[in-house]
Amino acid sequence: MPNQGPAIIFSDLTLGYDRHPAVHHINGEVKRGELLAVVGPNGAGKSTLLKGIIGELSPLGGSLKLDGLKKSDIAYLPQQIDIDRSFPISVFDCVATGLWREIGAWCGLDADREAEVARALATVGLVDLAHRPVGALSGGQFQRVLFARLLLQDAALILLDEPFRAVDTKTVADLIALILRWHGEGRTVLAALHDMEQVRAHFPATLLMAREVVAWGETRKVLTPTNLAKARQLVEAFDEHAEVCERDESARERQPA
Amino acid sequence: MIDTVVSPFIEFSFMRRALVGCLALSLGAPPIGVFLMLRRMSLMGDAMSHAILPGAAIGYLLAGLSLFAMSLGGFAAGLAVALAAGLVARSTVLREDASLAAFYLVSLALGVLIVSVRGSNIDLLHVLFGTVLALDDAALILVAAIATVSLAVLAVIYRPLVLECFDPQFLRSASNLSSPTHLLFLVLVVLNLVAGFQALGTLMAVGIMLLPAIAARFWAEDVSGLIVIAVLIAFVSSLSGLLLSYYANVPTGPAIILLCGVFYLLSMLLGVRGGLIYRLLPRKHLEA
Amino acid sequence: MKYRLVMQIGLALAVLVGLSGGADAADKVKTVASFSILGDMVRQVGGDRVEVVTLVGPDGDAHVFSPTPADAKTLAGAEIFFVNGLGFEGWMERLEKSSGFQGKTVVASQGVKPLTMSEEEGHHHGEEAKDEHEHEDHAKGEDHDDEAEEVTDPHAWQDLANGKIYVANIRDGLIAADPDGKAIYEANAVTYLDAIAKEEEAVKQALAALPEARRKIITSHDAFGYFGAAYGLEIVAPEGVSTESEASAQDVAKIIRQIKAEKIPAVFLENVTDHRLLDQIARETGAKIGGTLYSDALSGPDGPAPTYLDMFRHNVGTLTAALSS
Repeated sequence: MPNQGPAIIFSDLTLGYDRHPAVHHINGEVKRGELLAVVGPNGAGKSTLLKGIIGELSPLGGSLKLDGLKKSDIAYLPQQIDIDRSFPISVFDCVATGLWREIGAWCGLDADREAEVARALATVGLVDLAHRPVGALSGGQFQRVLFARLLLQDAALILLDEPFRAVDTKTVADLIALILRWHGEGRTVLAALHDMEQVRAHFPATLLMAREVVAWGETRKVLTPTNLAKARQLVEAFDEHAEVCERDESARERQPA
Repeated sequence: MIDTVVSPFIEFSFMRRALVGCLALSLGAPPIGVFLMLRRMSLMGDAMSHAILPGAAIGYLLAGLSLFAMSLGGFAAGLAVALAAGLVARSTVLREDASLAAFYLVSLALGVLIVSVRGSNIDLLHVLFGTVLALDDAALILVAAIATVSLAVLAVIYRPLVLECFDPQFLRSASNLSSPTHLLFLVLVVLNLVAGFQALGTLMAVGIMLLPAIAARFWAEDVSGLIVIAVLIAFVSSLSGLLLSYYANVPTGPAIILLCGVFYLLSMLLGVRGGLIYRLLPRKHLEA
Repeated sequence: MKYRLVMQIGLALAVLVGLSGGADAADKVKTVASFSILGDMVRQVGGDRVEVVTLVGPDGDAHVFSPTPADAKTLAGAEIFFVNGLGFEGWMERLEKSSGFQGKTVVASQGVKPLTMSEEEGHHHGEEAKDEHEHEDHAKGEDHDDEAEEVTDPHAWQDLANGKIYVANIRDGLIAADPDGKAIYEANAVTYLDAIAKEEEAVKQALAALPEARRKIITSHDAFGYFGAAYGLEIVAPEGVSTESEASAQDVAKIIRQIKAEKIPAVFLENVTDHRLLDQIARETGAKIGGTLYSDALSGPDGPAPTYLDMFRHNVGTLTAALSS
């Protein structure tokens, strides 16, 4: 019986680096099967939030609960810079690693699985480049490679960190089609994005954040000029020499003992 | 011509042993070197040759000039340094190179201190490091065994290791093998280096591990190709280095490594992937 | 009357005390010897009048020795520094400068007729050895000219005749620094020279007793040039003079061929270098590994070669045991 509750629950979640919070006291739920855009100005904590969900960062405060989801149920598309593109690996092999959940570290690729990889490549239009080294690809082409890998991961929760940054328009269109397909398949998809037009066009739900939640809900209700201005204001208030956050203390004081 | 190549090995047992030892090393070490290079850890071999000193020194203090005790001590020290460096790199802001540099320097200083306490001026490391022309049965078996173990372990951790070098975050999210793979790899590095030092000396052990791998970069497009070509280059350099040492009367270790160097230069010039001359040749571009 | 007796006795006592004070421990001549063989010789000649500190101790390797601050301190406080000379102590000048040594340096090999050697082949070119090697030199021809680097062989003490010269120089050096002890030094020197002469006889006899065809050895350290030249033993070595140089396959092949061709019966180890190469050569040629020869350093006090003369007794005994069977 598939779990019907929310996929992710944030409880007063704070995430950050070196005690500076990049995500500050966030509360909320991501519904199962939701297609959610995470937007905000630069430095708003979007990447950090996704990293927190995948488990790359531990909370500085509060908690993050993944309901009924194991690590292997989550697929994460990081920003491209974290990957070593000069590494000698072919497009085919790179995409094939998406099958890790099935073949693990030691099983070989039988004919069926090879066909799966080929299909994934076809979906993103990279069949002809299958045996080129990844270093020979353009930014847009490599992004397709990573999407193909995501396809094979067959995950219930998909996290995309700026998937369209520095990518050509044709690729963007193709990849958006893919995202919509995933949504249609009932997968939960979160995408950190900076292009508001894309968000308005394709994403039913949006979380607007500037370290804290500014607005969260239906896209057209969230992406109002007021909210966007508020977000920008909050971002300008980031302080290098901040004091220790008192919010936890005052919250506890307000509650009955 | 064939006779020139073959006759020294027919006539002399030490040449045959040297060849077998080199071949074993050429099988076990270059694959490890390929991964070291891909992880930007190419200077690790040299650092290790210093890091093992306190272990060898303690072995010497406890058991005198026993090669077994000193090698074991050296291995333990090398392992401690490598694993500590690996763990620190995984859990702090430091990268692998800085982490290793810090540990091997401390280890070396410790080693020098321990040696001076004993008061002997025997150059410990000189005693510990062997020469390829003097491989006795024990050394040959050691090198062969290490090569076998290395290949077997590499075959097992191949896929996670490749992923760990290429996209470590993906491996972390997909499985728990990230740390064990990394640390097991470091064990292999230390094993090959210490065995290599003992049997063949520092120059040869580190040289055979890295130079062929670096040269192979100009020929191969994926990791398995790199490994195959590196092993081949190591074989050919070993054989020709031995022959050069025999006919031109030059020390063997340096001869073999210099030939690896020659292959490296040739690869840099003529290699299919990024070779200088290859790039400069006017060639028509392909259709797609 | 009684008081005068007391005073005379008191005066005599005072003189005696004064004299004995002159000879007590605090007034020993402070000397430093560069390595253990010299240290032993200085002790033999100096007796109780000298205090000897040896820099490169038993089983040590003077070729790779690196002086420590403690050594500099020791030298600074010494009156005489006994060195071998002939290029043996590469670090000598540095140490003298850095320690601010004010005393006298005595070069023990002063007056010794040095042998030279070619680093490449390990053959030596002293006058006695020349005839045997002439035909070989001609055969090698150009080979020889290109590669041969003539280096002074510093191991002069391996010829007991030179040892006598060393003793004389040591004696003279001690007398110059401590004229009061002249009689003692001369007496000790005479005794020691006598012992050396006896040993010289014994060595010559022992080696003459070996058949000529068996008077050849291989050893890993090229330190026995003088010994071989003086007592009729042909020495062949696989490596160059110091412990630093690395062998080539050609060197090793040549040695193996030579051992097989000339049927050299024994391979000897030496207490300062890596013996693995020798083991390999012995294995391949069937030559016997004859035991350890002491060349550049004495053994520890419990070892087989704690003094200079013991070193000769041990070496000759080991040689004859391996070569006569």
